[in-house]
Amino acid sequence: MKEEVLGKKPLHVLEKIRENLERLNEKIEVMIELQKHGRKDLQPLSDAPLDVMTLLSMPDHLRKTAMTICRCGRATAEEIAQQTNRARAVESAYLNQLVIMGYLKKERKGRKAYFYADRECQE
Amino acid sequence: MSRVKVTMGKIIAVHSYKGGTGKTLLSVNLAAALAKHGKKVCLFDLDFRAPSLFAVFNVENAECWLNDYLNGTCEISKVLIDLNGRIYGDGEFFVGFANPATEAIRDMTAKDRKWEMRALGRLLSLRNTLLNGKEFDYLIFDTSPGLQYSSINAIVTADLVVVATTSDRSDVDGTRRMLNELYNLFEKKTGLVLNKVLDSASKSKKGDMQDKIKAIYQVPMLGLVPCFCEILRAEGNLIFVQDKPDHPFTKIVDEIAKKIESNEIN
Repeated sequence: MKEEVLGKKPLHVLEKIRENLERLNEKIEVMIELQKHGRKDLQPLSDAPLDVMTLLSMPDHLRKTAMTICRCGRATAEEIAQQTNRARAVESAYLNQLVIMGYLKKERKGRKAYFYADRECQE
Repeated sequence: MSRVKVTMGKIIAVHSYKGGTGKTLLSVNLAAALAKHGKKVCLFDLDFRAPSLFAVFNVENAECWLNDYLNGTCEISKVLIDLNGRIYGDGEFFVGFANPATEAIRDMTAKDRKWEMRALGRLLSLRNTLLNGKEFDYLIFDTSPGLQYSSINAIVTADLVVVATTSDRSDVDGTRRMLNELYNLFEKKTGLVLNKVLDSASKSKKGDMQDKIKAIYQVPMLGLVPCFCEILRAEGNLIFVQDKPDHPFTKIVDEIAKKIESNEIN
């Protein structure tokens, strides 16, 4: 692709496209997850504490992700995936599901999305 | 992002379903045995409902309690008390005490879920500050019995859960349920110590007994402790591993410590 076609900052434009695609992807992953596990048990809560009793009552697949976030404090889906040995896309879906449930918060920094349970726990 | 570092140090939670199974006796002696084997060890009293380590070690007052660290009002370094004078060996021995004041116990039992979540975060960060930062080899958590916040926080934080149990029917049932519904869910390595075993039973059919235990609980056995009258007679005034080096109980705890050191529990 020629530089003139994309304007002065071709890389910047491409980055933007990629960023948007990734966000779109995440949204699709969340929708797939919601579909898979049924909407009933996923009532949105705000600021629900991710304490051990909550961890105990979670379905196994979410508990693994939530426990890893507790250990890390703050992490991206990629970093969680490295520890759980599951695919990044899977972890991304679970993390977003935990955000919907109110247990995690999500913060974007550039292209990366960071997840954490409690601001105070971040290092 | 704080990455979980690969570390040699380990966190061990000593837990049980019922009270009076010998958790504190086991925690104290296990910590002392590891220190005598040359390890740098810190023993923590996580039984905030019935603190007992301050009495075991005759400590009247502490500058900071473990309660203060979990409340976020002091650093962990201020909680640790150097007790190398009490336990002689090649290693190092520290203790973090729970505040025994009635007011402190009341305060700890009235914490909300958000506080418990932060307490878990603070316990988890000990891996970084003490195991990585201060090069401790073992942190040992003496917990409250049963399913309660402080104990489950300790279990989630630990690499290995040592479960003290007895032959009492209600203890056997409860322990078995806890193994299935608590430790397994958190994917924790677990080792069992069967305490207060009748002397005759432990001597005559040790192999049979171990097989039976393994069949009941489906987890590895770390040790079998006969009922010793000397332990009762000492009225909690002795740390057997230190004060009675030739006592059979000391030898059993030594063996348990060696199993833990050699990573035998998998």
